[in-house]
Amino acid sequence: MTMQTLADWIGEVRSVTIGATRADGGTRTGTVTVGGERDLSFVGTPPTGHRPLIAYEICDDRSLWPAPVNRFLGDRSSDPGEWARWAGQEYAPDLIRLFLTSTRKRGFSDPASVTSTVESVLQATGLPLIIEGSNDPALDSEVFRRIGEAGEGERLLIGTAEAGHYRSIAATAMAFGHLMIAQSPIDINLAKQLNILLREIGLSYDRIVIDPYTGALGYGFEYSYSVMERIRTSALKGDDDLTMPMICSAADSLTVKEVREADPSESDRISVSWELYAMLPAAIAGASIVCVRHPSTIAQLRAGIGALWSSPGGGA
Amino acid sequence: MPTVTFIPGFRKTEVRSGSSILQAAQQVGIHMNVVCGGLGKCGKCKVYVKSGSYDFDRDKYGKFFTAEELEAGACLACQTSVSEDVLVLIPEESIVQEQKILIDVMGTSTELNPAVWKYALSLSPPSLDDPSPDLTRLLWGIEKAGGPKEGVIYAPLEVIRRIPRVLRESGWKVTATVVLVPGGYRLIDIEKGDTTPACYGAAVDLGTTTIVVYIRNLIDGSVMGIASGYNRQISCGEDILSRVTYARKDGGLKKLQSLAAESINAAITEAANNAGIDRDHIYEVVVAGNTIMTHILMGIDPAYMIEEPYVPVVRRYLTAAAGRAGLDVGENSGLFIFPAVSDFVGGDIIADILASGMAERDEVSLLIDIGTNFEVVLGNRDWMFACAGAAGPALEGGEVLFGMRANAGAIEQISLDLVTLTPAYRTIRHVRPKGLCGSGLIDLLAELLRACIIDRTGRINTAIAHERVRIGRQVPEFVVAWKEETGIGKDIVITENDIKALIMSKASVLAACLTLMNQAGITRNDIAHIHFSGAFGNYISKENAITIGLIPEVPVERISPIGNGAIEGANLALLNRRKKKLIDEIARKIAYIELNAEPSFMDEYTGSCFLPHTDLSMFPMVEEMLEKCRLRRGDP
Repeated sequence: MTMQTLADWIGEVRSVTIGATRADGGTRTGTVTVGGERDLSFVGTPPTGHRPLIAYEICDDRSLWPAPVNRFLGDRSSDPGEWARWAGQEYAPDLIRLFLTSTRKRGFSDPASVTSTVESVLQATGLPLIIEGSNDPALDSEVFRRIGEAGEGERLLIGTAEAGHYRSIAATAMAFGHLMIAQSPIDINLAKQLNILLREIGLSYDRIVIDPYTGALGYGFEYSYSVMERIRTSALKGDDDLTMPMICSAADSLTVKEVREADPSESDRISVSWELYAMLPAAIAGASIVCVRHPSTIAQLRAGIGALWSSPGGGA
Repeated sequence: MPTVTFIPGFRKTEVRSGSSILQAAQQVGIHMNVVCGGLGKCGKCKVYVKSGSYDFDRDKYGKFFTAEELEAGACLACQTSVSEDVLVLIPEESIVQEQKILIDVMGTSTELNPAVWKYALSLSPPSLDDPSPDLTRLLWGIEKAGGPKEGVIYAPLEVIRRIPRVLRESGWKVTATVVLVPGGYRLIDIEKGDTTPACYGAAVDLGTTTIVVYIRNLIDGSVMGIASGYNRQISCGEDILSRVTYARKDGGLKKLQSLAAESINAAITEAANNAGIDRDHIYEVVVAGNTIMTHILMGIDPAYMIEEPYVPVVRRYLTAAAGRAGLDVGENSGLFIFPAVSDFVGGDIIADILASGMAERDEVSLLIDIGTNFEVVLGNRDWMFACAGAAGPALEGGEVLFGMRANAGAIEQISLDLVTLTPAYRTIRHVRPKGLCGSGLIDLLAELLRACIIDRTGRINTAIAHERVRIGRQVPEFVVAWKEETGIGKDIVITENDIKALIMSKASVLAACLTLMNQAGITRNDIAHIHFSGAFGNYISKENAITIGLIPEVPVERISPIGNGAIEGANLALLNRRKKKLIDEIARKIAYIELNAEPSFMDEYTGSCFLPHTDLSMFPMVEEMLEKCRLRRGDP
């Protein structure tokens, strides 16, 4: 059964293109575009805008990475470039999201490694990149400058800005022509506020992707879902401050008790399920990019999105 | 250098050896009574030195004190010098009550229509031919003099008992006093001779901290005397909740009741003495106070009001003979208590509404009373919504590092040069700055925003290279005044944490306004008047209150302070009895919105935790102004 909506939307989610090919001044083998929706998903009308994309998350220091994923990866090379190449070939995500976890460890003192890590990942994969830097005011300006420089021309999506922590990232995005993620803690007002702050320091709205923050299922996901719906509805109603595409990550899903305490023989199945059942509904709620850490989730998530977006309810 | 410590309060200061205690007191901001200017002539600056040695000429100034006082260490602060550390007790009467208690009534004109009439009567004595009883004879006299009909006047027993004697001793020339109470006309007094010119009433603002009394002449409406004082219940707890807790104790309610009555009596006595009138000629007392205060004055247990579901005992006006509440006026005089709507919307707010005139207009008005708690009322003659909540103490200078109350040395106005960031400020009493009071904090917040020193969430942009923008103890701060220019010997700063506390306070007020507006389905354009009640509203800049989003954006000419609305409302009800009916209508009409139970409130609150608000389209004039400031600053 489908429901007829009578909404007379006046707004549209902005289209944002991540990555740059040689023709655009970068080195990516392709670019991806998200956003462009002119309606809510699954309300009986054909889907609008671009289909949700899947990003695979890797890092440069696995000691801060969830145990189930580390177990699955085993002693596979911890070199982020090698990791990105392997994941791109074996699992075919749409994007790679690199977390510079090394910068988040106490006593980090090797900013030069930021440049080399980013360069090695750029060389190892042709996929568009999302890069997550430090989360420390003392390091931010150096770390983000290096990310920005190393990826100049590549139209990276860099993150993650929060209300207390946005100037360095925005400065990098503006200086080197990148895009950025603006995260707020599951609240439509705070999401809007951060976008206004970014605009007021000179960042244009077509460079922002909203991270509404995604709780794990049963651990706040319903709030995330509801806030995402409200953000999307506001955008469609014409609120220019909320017209950006959204990105969601399943990172929290791998830290819940049910996953941490799973029997080792079940660890992979349970991890994949938790990621899948957070990211599929996130896509339905309006996320344009969904991110996972367990490689096996990618195929299932792709199948789920494909089925939904081709179903009668989803239209085409 | 000797240290002088003042109790109560333990304020300390160092003074040069040989300085007077008065100088020390002035240094720490205690304002003592020095009627003679510190010459040792008035005896008003009495203090007790509890320990330490000092120099005071007892022979010369001993005349101001009793032997007991001298024994306890009494001396005159202005004539006592110290050479080593001393501990000084300052009795309450020696301190100027400097917290400005608003006592000016804005002079809303109202018809003079009091509920009290005095009739000078010359009655014919009874005879065998005319044997009608004394009371009937008196009441007939009143009717003939143009008063109410004999049959509708009720005479209480206490008055009847005095009638035969007063009639005969006065040679049948008496003055009868009649009041109109909800039960009808009441004969409340009989006096010998003609006392008709002595006809007074008292209007009382019974606050948690302070009490204000006006004595009005009910014949021509003139103000006879004004007095204010502290609510003596303070000895049982400073804030309202501690009073309720005290009321729960054995005998607690009784004690609080008598302290309330005592406080009112003291103020009435002072005002009456100043005016040279007899308290017995005060025939009606009208009291406006918050819900807890009026319940306590009437001896009604307030304990259940502060627990869920927060219901007051009465939501209509209360009347009684003043003597039953322990008030020291004519014993049968009327007592009228303003009605309460809820635990936090009390008679003081109803009085504010009355004083603002909003209940008599077709246009919609918004009334805001800001203190640690705030109350907001929205409506017109047909409907009204009200709510109350906690704003926190930041807007009154609390929880802010250099925040202070509106005392001498408080920066009450400040502006910044948008280019050099140099502040220009004005302090209360034009002394060196000691801190910032509410109006100064609001100005500063608006100016920091205009100068782009803070972003809209209140974070200081530490990338600004300027000596006034710096990292303090862990958090960024802005230097308002360098220590060389202050009166406290250190830099006066505002920290990012202060700013956040202020934003949270202002957000709760704005969110309450917006919640009521949503409830009524109106927008800011529909609001014809915004009234600020209380001292706060008199001093703040309207433009800056809008710039930071403390109140919705309306053209500034629509905003007006109503001063002490509680005392003004009480005066209005005293002078014009028809207002009492209106008061009851207001109390019945108000729909009380419990913000805790209002799901949209939290959303409005988060939206309001932004300067001025997340929805910038609600503040178009502010946006235009900020845009200009940004261009002038040269920032993107």
